[in-house]
Amino acid sequence: MAGWNGKILTIDLTNQTHEICPLDMEIARQFIGGRGLGVRLLWDLVGPDVEPLSPENALIFTTGPITGSGSQTSNRFNVSSKSPLTGTILHANSGGWWGMQFKRTGYDALIVRGKAKAPVIIEITAQGVEIKDADQLWGTGVFETTQALGQDRNNRNVLCIGPAGENLVRIASIMNDKERALARGGPGAVMGSKMLKAIVVEGDQKNKPADQDLFKFMLYETGKLLKASPLTSQALPEFGTAVVMNVINEIGALPTRNFQQSQFDQAEKISGEEITDTILVKNQACWACPISCTRITKTKSDKQGEGPEYESAWAFGAQCGIDDLDTITEANFLCNDMGLDTISMGNTIGCAMELTEKGLMEAELDFGQADKLLDLIHDTAHRRGIGAEMAEGSYRMAEKFGAPELSMSVKKLEMPAYDPRGMQGQGLVFATGNRGACHEEGNMLGPEVLALPRLIDRFATQGKAGIVSVHQDSAAVIDSLIYCKFANLAVAEEFFARALSAVTGEHFTADDLMMVGERIWTLERLFNIREGFTKADDTLPDRMLSEPVPDGPSEGCTVKLAPMLEEYYAFRGWDENGVPRSEKLKELSLEFAIEAEDD
Amino acid sequence: MTTIKLYANLRNLAGSKELLSITGKSLRDVLIELEKQFPALAGVILENGVLRQHNVISINGHHATDLNTPVIEDDMIAIFPPIAGGWS
Repeated sequence: MAGWNGKILTIDLTNQTHEICPLDMEIARQFIGGRGLGVRLLWDLVGPDVEPLSPENALIFTTGPITGSGSQTSNRFNVSSKSPLTGTILHANSGGWWGMQFKRTGYDALIVRGKAKAPVIIEITAQGVEIKDADQLWGTGVFETTQALGQDRNNRNVLCIGPAGENLVRIASIMNDKERALARGGPGAVMGSKMLKAIVVEGDQKNKPADQDLFKFMLYETGKLLKASPLTSQALPEFGTAVVMNVINEIGALPTRNFQQSQFDQAEKISGEEITDTILVKNQACWACPISCTRITKTKSDKQGEGPEYESAWAFGAQCGIDDLDTITEANFLCNDMGLDTISMGNTIGCAMELTEKGLMEAELDFGQADKLLDLIHDTAHRRGIGAEMAEGSYRMAEKFGAPELSMSVKKLEMPAYDPRGMQGQGLVFATGNRGACHEEGNMLGPEVLALPRLIDRFATQGKAGIVSVHQDSAAVIDSLIYCKFANLAVAEEFFARALSAVTGEHFTADDLMMVGERIWTLERLFNIREGFTKADDTLPDRMLSEPVPDGPSEGCTVKLAPMLEEYYAFRGWDENGVPRSEKLKELSLEFAIEAEDD
Repeated sequence: MTTIKLYANLRNLAGSKELLSITGKSLRDVLIELEKQFPALAGVILENGVLRQHNVISINGHHATDLNTPVIEDDMIAIFPPIAGGWS
């Protein structure tokens, strides 16, 4: 069927072999691709007996039927695995060019298993699949590796890990096209555990839509809507994602100094406006994207690169009490080169600063100390000194120093740049996240802060469960097609359904897609339950639940999680312990998971 | 005088990123006076007398959607045009 290539490539690095299997089209219809296909494949391949950093874990790269079609933002791809940071499902997706190029090689998914005896790279081209020696690249940074392997914008694309992934740092990212990241949950460490340095792709097959007339019409209509929206045509290209820094700070939801406060008095200095005024060289787009939100920036010491995005500017900024935009930006560049998740890295440094402040950790490290940032990142990537503790992520580090409650994480994944005490719905998003505290699996920033699509009371709890569930299901669909979520600012699920219909030639409705979203979300939940996660893990750091915000517009607030969680389970058709009921699984055609439970 | 902070492209339109001081008894009064002082903002924040969709206004950090909201001298009003980021 058009849209899907119908083939999955599996590579066993232990035996240095590969095989090509057909994609089960029933699975494709039910899970689409990307994140959905990833969790469906992972369900069969990786059970609770598999250690995340063992050869038995699978690293699954997936594209969606939209990927590479030329539809606006159709550049993205996904990675799925079991996370070495959280032990939960790991999924992460990225833009750039690599996803489109991998699709061009003729596969929908790549499953990597086993472990090579020595460092290797995988090269997938029109000529075939090769596993090559990579001894000379082991130890090099992402930038050097990407260049050495011949990155060529639209023709040959490189995905790799840096020293952090090689050293099994639990917050290591996989990088593609030099500076795009599959970041959260430590996928870089899984890749490093397999001694896999890079995957290079060079394809020649086009994703040709089945219904050309409808596809062209959708291209035209989507282009028009993206242009008409001030969000996608003005705010994001002009100011980038960090444009939300000031509004989040203004309302008292910007986590500051390890979430001890919710306003940063220097937020303006790390905002999107400041980036545009001071360090922006130009904006840049991923493949087939008219939005162009990427920032190409240059610091005073003449270092140039991508970023910082909102989350990264916050992580090294407000979270650490730092207002030096140049250093924050260079910290972002360095994380890209070392292959580190900027959110987890900055959050973990902020945690270490508080451990030090409270006398629990011996280090010369204070909030606001910008001059330490770059050394800490280097040390984390190479597991040196205090960096060896940070390499384990904030939870394990804080636990070692006797204060796990100072880790601002959920299921051990570091929280991103929103203080949920000032955004109650965001608290529910974080607590119920399948991969831990995550803003990409659903985000209440739109309705609770930005009036998108309309403003709701950010302090209210009643009724949030339904909105959060819809956002989570919608995100799962977008991550499976795969589109960029920013496209969703201008076009809705109806458009995605019509685009999918045009590409595949099969009829899909928005309701079909939302059902797929719920199916994916529920299977991810079941994966975590199979791993031993329970209702007790659907929680937030104690600080969010019992330490009121000390001052500002959210003063006195904590997250009222219990009533939201109860409402959430009921809305989802789960029992009071957060376990999906068997009738819900049947409704979602997840009977195979019931059978697995019965076994 | 009420203090106004503009953000994102509103600063470009007003030609200033400094704090502005505007007199008015209600949010509506303040916004109308703001448009008078900075004609480039006309139609950008208000449209036919109502707040334009997706503009965000906060008074002392709390969202304000009712143009009849009274304002007093020490109030800080922040005005954001439609923006998105993180993931909204």
